[in-house]
Amino acid sequence: MPKLNRFNIRIETGDTGTPGPVLFNINNHVLPFENAEGGTAPGEVFSGGFEINSFAHTLALVGPKEGAWQIRAMTVDFVCESAPPYSVRFGAVNLDETTEVNLWQDPPIPAFDV
Amino acid sequence: MNSTSPRPAETRRMIQAPVLSGDLYPEPSAEVLIKAQPAPGGESCVFRLNRELLPGYSWFFPDFESAAGSPLAEALFSLDDVETVLVMESMLTVTRKDKTLVDWKPLAREIGQVLRRLVEAGQPLIGERILAEMPSEEAIREGIQRVIDSEVNPGVAGHGGRISLLDVRGNTVTIQMGGGCQGCSAADLTLKQGIHKAFRTGVPAVGAILDETDHSAGLNPYFS
Repeated sequence: MPKLNRFNIRIETGDTGTPGPVLFNINNHVLPFENAEGGTAPGEVFSGGFEINSFAHTLALVGPKEGAWQIRAMTVDFVCESAPPYSVRFGAVNLDETTEVNLWQDPPIPAFDV
Repeated sequence: MNSTSPRPAETRRMIQAPVLSGDLYPEPSAEVLIKAQPAPGGESCVFRLNRELLPGYSWFFPDFESAAGSPLAEALFSLDDVETVLVMESMLTVTRKDKTLVDWKPLAREIGQVLRRLVEAGQPLIGERILAEMPSEEAIREGIQRVIDSEVNPGVAGHGGRISLLDVRGNTVTIQMGGGCQGCSAADLTLKQGIHKAFRTGVPAVGAILDETDHSAGLNPYFS
């Protein structure tokens, strides 16, 4: 697992939104995003990020305090030490007050043409 | 981290969203394209093609003798250092005999040349007998479940583990490890040395064995 310098996230909300706030969990500490823009109402897109500069043993998007949040898709851009920047696109997921969704994915394994 | 004051997390259940992988070959091409992707530890290398090698099925060739009648496997085993070959739809996984070598580039290029030559020739790649004698999905499912119930789960139960059969597609089997196996540092060893061997002995027609366990979410690993 490389050191995570920064990550940015783009969350596309589906039919059920949430009033927020949008929080994430890094190594069991819950924080709001920096540079947050957009919204989490149905059909809206939220974006934000955070300078982590640490190892992401846990990196998760925290579900709403009350009710459900239907996420249509998420894109996470990772900037890690000793690895080229990479993006991961996640599909639909439903969150509620008991859940959080994992955001961390290891850098892709290098491939070459033969 | 920056100066924003974090607060301790409440205990929530961690769930996984599906990862949408981009299409490796988004544009159709008349050329045979092959990408090699060595495992981080160098123990195997996966080759992904823009052509099907064995549509709907997978097949494991454990040695040179098992390759008889399958031109693709025969050609690969004629290369120095190829130990085993697993063919799965448009993908090929090769392990090598020399475990001290981690640079796959020289061997991967040789394998790429063999693959391209055979695919371009348009001849059958896998022995016709293999598909003709393939058991039904139901027979494979029953056989694997029997092996899990009679051999595998009694074996891992001593460590608080259990194995579940999630899916059988063609002859490709997907399992999940739970209890003490989920997140256990020895899970990969258990899978490859124990489960693979038991499955292939009990159900010789089984092809790829996929593990869909999320080991990072294990709450009670035996070796934590």
